[in-house]
Amino acid sequence: MDIQAYITSGKLELFLLGELSERERAEVLSMAAKYPAIQKELDELEEAMLAIDELTAKSPSPELKGKIFDSLESTFKVESAKSETAKAGKVVSLSPWKYFGIAASIVAVLTSAAAVFYASKFYEKEQQFTALLQEQSVMADNLNQVKQEYEAKDSQLDKLVAGDFRLVKLKGESLEMQKDASVNLFWDQGAQEVFIAVNNLNELSEEFDYQLWAIGDQGPIGIGLVNEGEKMTLQQMQAVAQAGAFAITIEPKGGSVSPTLDKLVVIGNVA
Amino acid sequence: MEEQELIAGLRAKNRGVTEYLYEKYSRALFGVISRIIFDKDIAEEVFHDSFVKIIQKIDSYEESKGRLYTWMANICRNSAIDKTRSKEISQSSKTNTIEDFVYGFESNSDTIDHVNAIGVKELMKELNEEQRFIIEYIYFKGYTHSEISEEFDIPLGTVKSRVRAAIQVLRKNIDSI
Repeated sequence: MDIQAYITSGKLELFLLGELSERERAEVLSMAAKYPAIQKELDELEEAMLAIDELTAKSPSPELKGKIFDSLESTFKVESAKSETAKAGKVVSLSPWKYFGIAASIVAVLTSAAAVFYASKFYEKEQQFTALLQEQSVMADNLNQVKQEYEAKDSQLDKLVAGDFRLVKLKGESLEMQKDASVNLFWDQGAQEVFIAVNNLNELSEEFDYQLWAIGDQGPIGIGLVNEGEKMTLQQMQAVAQAGAFAITIEPKGGSVSPTLDKLVVIGNVA
Repeated sequence: MEEQELIAGLRAKNRGVTEYLYEKYSRALFGVISRIIFDKDIAEEVFHDSFVKIIQKIDSYEESKGRLYTWMANICRNSAIDKTRSKEISQSSKTNTIEDFVYGFESNSDTIDHVNAIGVKELMKELNEEQRFIIEYIYFKGYTHSEISEEFDIPLGTVKSRVRAAIQVLRKNIDSI
């Protein structure tokens, strides 16, 4: 087979001009498939003939396009209806959908960003809310504590006002321990209630406590530990029905059964 | 747009893709028709019908048998040839010579067409008398090679080789224009 003779025969040009019979067309196609040189020549000729056409190209009237597309309207409609049921994604084109797609992507990105932003805002607010709840709970506790303290003071005041208290002044003047020590003691003998108010007592180290004694017919009886730090407030002590004097000693932590007399700090007689 | 993409879009009867096709090829295809039919109204009528046919018959196009453009150009050329054979078209509506075609370009207000008129003149200048004869009959009068053979009593093989030679000249010159 003389490839070059086949190429120069003019058959390929006529093939491209659409002038060959079906039989001859099939022959050219099979020759081109068989011989790359023929396929190459065919491709180049095709390119050249398009270039020639482009040189002789002419613009149809602008209004012709509208007429043509009007004529095609039904073709587009039928097909778009068909492709509704067929699969849509098959056609990849430069149609406006591409731009809708881009627009949709941008919207999606913006929406996601907004979602992240508002999620972080929400998280922040939730933390603030939790902090406020805790604060409120602390304040409620504080209020409750204050309320309990108030009720305790109120009941003490009730007792003081309603009761029959006598004041016993306990002093350290006559003793060696603390000359300026001073504690007031209120005693309602009938109701068997004792309160003290510390005016002045020295601070003790951790291993010692002040202990209050009621001194009666049966000797001194311990009626409670005194908190020397709580000055000028009433401290309720244990009940006592009979006493001629009250005294406070320094005892080992937790108090003793009987007083350490050489550590007597204050004493006062019941008038 | 890749040709594959273009063809897929046309097969799906996608309007956007069809518009793209029109913008890209309408001038070249209308040129194929205008070369043969001088009368602009008739040429446009033929182009209208050809383009509609291209879109509607796209399923009969086979990629294995050549480029889309070639298939479309053949439809336009054959429609134009058919038109020149119909009774309704008068002798004066046909393009008779390359000069007629160039004249058509020059009388058009389109600037691109004016530039093309010069290009066509330049391109045809390089052809010898035999080749010019062939190009005129094939491209501008809408004759088939066998009609030329019959009418002018030239052996078919000779017509073919002259077609080949003429297009070779145009092909070589087209790049220099």
